[in-house]
Amino acid sequence: MDSRDSSATSNSVVNPSADGEGAPFSAVAKEAALLFQSRKYTECLELLHQLAQKKEHDPKVLHNIAITEFFWDGCSNPRRLIEVLSDVKRKSEVLARTSLEQVEATSNAGSRGTLGSKGNASAPEHQISVANNTSIFYVDEFDHSVAILNIAVIWFHLSEYSKALSILEPLYNKIQPIDETIALHICLLLLDVALACHDIAKSADVLNYLEKPLDNGTAIQQQSANLVVKSSSVPSNSAVADNSDLGTSAGLNTSDKSLARTLSDETLDYESMMSALDIGGHNLGSSQALSSSNNFSRSVFDKSLPSVDLKLKLQLYKVRFLLLSGNLKAAKREVKGAMNARGDSSIAILLKSQLEYARGNYRKAIKLLMALENRTEGAIGSMFFNNLGCIYHELAKFHTASIFFTKALTSSSSLRKEKPLRLSTLSQDKSLFISYNCGVQNLASGKPVLAARCLLKAQTAFYNKPLFWFRLAECCLMASEMGLLKNGGVSLESSELKLYVIGKGKWRRLAIKDESSRNGLSHSAEKTDWSISSNDGQPKLSLSLARLCLYNALHILSSCESGLHSSSSSPLDSSEVNDSSETRNVNHKILQGVEAKLSAMNLGLSQVTSNGDTKEQKAVVSQELISSSLSIYEETSRRKNKIVKEAVTANQAFVELELENPIGALSCARSLLQIPDCSRVYAFLGHMYAAEALCLLNRPSEASEHLSVYLAEGKNMRLPFTEEDFEQWRVVKNSECEETNNGGGPVSSIISRSEEPQILTFLKPEEARAALYVNLAAKSAMDGELQKALELVNQALVMSANSREALLTSVYIHLALGNSREALSKLKQLSRVRFLPFPVSSESS
Amino acid sequence: MMMIGIVNGEESYKLLKLLKQDHRPLLDLTSEFTSTFSPSLHFPLCTSLYLILEDKLMLTAPERLVAFTVLHQTYASPSSSMNPFIRFIAACNDGAENFERAFILQLLRSSDSSSSKEFLKQSAADYIKGFDPSAQTFPQIDQLQQQYCKNAHPEPYNCLFKDMPVKNVVSDPDVPSSCNISSPEFDLQPGVQPKIGSGDKDETVAGLLSNLTLEGIGPQWIRPRPPRLPIQDGELVWLVPGNNHELLWDSGMCADTSRGAAIRDLIAKATKSPLVPAQQEKVVMELANDPKLVYHCGVTPSRLPELVENNPLIAVEVLTRLINSPEITEYFTVLVTMEMSLHSMEVVNRLTQAVKLPSDFLRLYISNCITSCESIKDKYMQNRLVRLVCVFLQSLIRNNHIDVKEILIEVQAFCINFSRIREAAGLFRLLKTMEG
Repeated sequence: MDSRDSSATSNSVVNPSADGEGAPFSAVAKEAALLFQSRKYTECLELLHQLAQKKEHDPKVLHNIAITEFFWDGCSNPRRLIEVLSDVKRKSEVLARTSLEQVEATSNAGSRGTLGSKGNASAPEHQISVANNTSIFYVDEFDHSVAILNIAVIWFHLSEYSKALSILEPLYNKIQPIDETIALHICLLLLDVALACHDIAKSADVLNYLEKPLDNGTAIQQQSANLVVKSSSVPSNSAVADNSDLGTSAGLNTSDKSLARTLSDETLDYESMMSALDIGGHNLGSSQALSSSNNFSRSVFDKSLPSVDLKLKLQLYKVRFLLLSGNLKAAKREVKGAMNARGDSSIAILLKSQLEYARGNYRKAIKLLMALENRTEGAIGSMFFNNLGCIYHELAKFHTASIFFTKALTSSSSLRKEKPLRLSTLSQDKSLFISYNCGVQNLASGKPVLAARCLLKAQTAFYNKPLFWFRLAECCLMASEMGLLKNGGVSLESSELKLYVIGKGKWRRLAIKDESSRNGLSHSAEKTDWSISSNDGQPKLSLSLARLCLYNALHILSSCESGLHSSSSSPLDSSEVNDSSETRNVNHKILQGVEAKLSAMNLGLSQVTSNGDTKEQKAVVSQELISSSLSIYEETSRRKNKIVKEAVTANQAFVELELENPIGALSCARSLLQIPDCSRVYAFLGHMYAAEALCLLNRPSEASEHLSVYLAEGKNMRLPFTEEDFEQWRVVKNSECEETNNGGGPVSSIISRSEEPQILTFLKPEEARAALYVNLAAKSAMDGELQKALELVNQALVMSANSREALLTSVYIHLALGNSREALSKLKQLSRVRFLPFPVSSESS
Repeated sequence: MMMIGIVNGEESYKLLKLLKQDHRPLLDLTSEFTSTFSPSLHFPLCTSLYLILEDKLMLTAPERLVAFTVLHQTYASPSSSMNPFIRFIAACNDGAENFERAFILQLLRSSDSSSSKEFLKQSAADYIKGFDPSAQTFPQIDQLQQQYCKNAHPEPYNCLFKDMPVKNVVSDPDVPSSCNISSPEFDLQPGVQPKIGSGDKDETVAGLLSNLTLEGIGPQWIRPRPPRLPIQDGELVWLVPGNNHELLWDSGMCADTSRGAAIRDLIAKATKSPLVPAQQEKVVMELANDPKLVYHCGVTPSRLPELVENNPLIAVEVLTRLINSPEITEYFTVLVTMEMSLHSMEVVNRLTQAVKLPSDFLRLYISNCITSCESIKDKYMQNRLVRLVCVFLQSLIRNNHIDVKEILIEVQAFCINFSRIREAAGLFRLLKTMEG
């Protein structure tokens, strides 16, 4: 670490003012900026290249060249721009580090010069302390926040929100030193990104931060500055005294050396301090004037954007935030305000429509959408169609919904063809999201392969959503149910029972061929194939893929669960949530020992100033609103996550059984049953799967424990769940709906789900009870208790006379008991059974 | 892995035809078996043979010998212990006709040495004809199992579902149980009009060959499919136009940084020695003009003590401007833990007037002051310091910068300790009036 070397190089490269050429450079730079603003990219590039020749390693020049070239090139390669900007950022960081070392080195050299006696020992010490604090004071030249912001902007336009979020967050955590204009851009982008990522806590944080500055003036700040300047005459006296004093304190012990020094001879200083304290005691006025100065850094936001404009923008952000958090009441209030302010803006209309959609007022939502201007054109067009699709899906008009989604997709993809290409057109192309909607829509209408294809298109935007993986798994399962999988799986058509009548007369035999039987270990060994889609883009659905998807879903779920827990462990009182610095400081290294005290200090900081004027109160109200929305969101997302977790685990157990892995199935079923407050439908499935897995593992007594859970004392079996359980679990909304008396009625509640294909229907409660009997019967039969099995299966047949499994088990029992006549009569009761003659070979006759 | 095929009617007739050729050498028949049927059919065909062999009525004696030969020879290489049917073959030795037992024994032994394959060159019919019952001794079944199956695959894992299947083929229950199936009464006679109730055995054998399944039928287990999860609230993405975020031009490029550099120099100086008034004014002005400058001016927590000692007012200016920074706690920590001095007290005092300091920080600072007063040795110095601390405390209390209750006990003790000093007594009285 030779300080002189580094200082020499960085001086020549970075510090234009040092060689006296700073002024002409800055004039050229200004001109280039003007050209850039007026989109004269060719001329701008010329100037920039001139600059680059003279300052070839200046990261800022490189940065602006990259940006300008991108526009000059027609925004054709955003990913390449990200690479270039990341490179600029890295260079900038290196330069900043060397310059810091240089600064420290020179200051050390300086102190060495004046004090003389101090050795070199202090140098490494200093450098260590600097290394710890590098983040704090990047000097202007090396501030690369613009480069980082621009990288995030591109990720945003590429709809890679989590990437944008991860790059913006550290920037936001150090936002104070950043120039206001840039800081505002950072905040707004972060807000958009956080909302897109459903990161509700982060958006609340940014909203709070942005809301504060709007209410503060700049006048006080000026005052405070003046005050300090005036009083600065006091220490000027002490300066002289202090200098004359250097040697005298030698006799005192070191601990209070400096104290003694200041106390001993500096009468002037001491007295002035005494009097200052005394005056300060009565100087209430000044302290009040100063008290608001802590806000000055924010007030500058007003400069960069017209305040009214920003205010409206924030209002719309707030509506989106409230909608996302599910605080619909507050959203309604807020959207009203926004509509009053500029009712015609399409974004306000779309938000209002979204509100009505979320509240289940589908008619109102449609009406609002119809009020959009240019509703079928361009970017708005694809949103219009997509949102209509959402509404019609909710109305269970699946066919109509899918038409709208398709229209949305076409109009969205046509956007890309527009010339000239602009960065914003990239983000206006929402086909990723529409594709997801399409996928879910196709799944609901029983088209698993199509659904999977759509979902896979949406993968880049949804890969971190548990529901996405779960839906993909559902596609696989549905495909297997419909017999669409190439190997394994059973098609519905072949599920009928075939009875071959073989031979004649005394040699006549009846062969029972049950192709759908999947008891125990069948031969459907499936090749494991980890790739999701084949070369032609067709998704390769399989049960192994389902297993993989479910693993993903569960993994993401448990990681966001732990996230929720950690944030909920700290009580959500407003001061804590609201103060952005509080949350940020958590990560900060704080000196040990005083840590506890300091965190309390921090709390105090958030309550700085209490002038109690109306504006302050308004800010407090809105902070409370935000924090209450946060807790609403936490509550609902916990509930939603629980439902998804139950569904994922149940499906996992099922898939493991299908893939002939009873051990895996058992552990999934058990973890399903361990979910606290597990819904009764899934608990039933958990018991069924666990019992089957245990039978497969030759542990019949444990299996029967699972099946007997529903046995009320004696022999009566309780219904494992009721119709209401099911309905409750299906419809979670409509609590907010208020149209009931207007005659319109909450549409969703009247709609019969008749359009839903039969394949999706689940067991009715009675059928579920019959299934329990059937499985108990099977278990008893396996134990060799044929009579008991017969009783149980007869009970099942009472409840569900056409149950195929019940009849077949009954056939088995009768055959095992040697009663083939009875067995045959049961066989004839099966609804899907065909008697077939065995072909007589021409050769033999 | 080879796909396992399904035996259709035609193939089972072909197999039956093969079995019926009791006059051809057995070896010919086995090679014909492997050449006629594709490898994927070998296992299902052999399984059918195995299942039909279990029913002793269905095949004639020579047919059975052919079937056993096929079962054994199809899987004879590389080693007969790999034969999936070896256990069954060995077990069949029990309770069968003597010539069949002898034949099976020879089959089993044939795998020991190639020479003994000779007997397979005769036909099944010839074997039965030439069989001499007196020349045979039969080993126990255990012994056979021990000898021929010890290297075989262990019994496959069987779960309960597999344990007790019944055959999936049912005899016609309408055939009276008194009917003796092996009597030729109802067998088809060539050229004779069939009676009611008569049937062709071959047809049945062929049917069985293609329809018997290893699994048989067993009790049924219901595995309900999990229901499809309904669309969740907010799962469908509702689209709203986002805000446009454009790429920003970095206006810091080649910007004039001389002013910032000047301030950094001044601050660096300020940590070494007091600045002259003009310099101080310049720093304060620049900091006021550019609110972000304070973050770039080079003041770090580690440098704060030097700044406080040399230029307390600039320190105050910097700290008030940093109050919203997340690092402010670090600065405060340094301020509280640095050595007590007149200037640090001045900074704290001014700060209390400019901003509301966290009360914890103030308490900590007051404790430090009191400790310093107590530990100082020089009496004169101590007096001066105590006086100063007292005035400082009074100022804090009068301006309501601190809640008296929080520090009451500690400060009272301090006042009593130094009651000889006038200011301490005054402070004590002030505390008393506050209490009342």
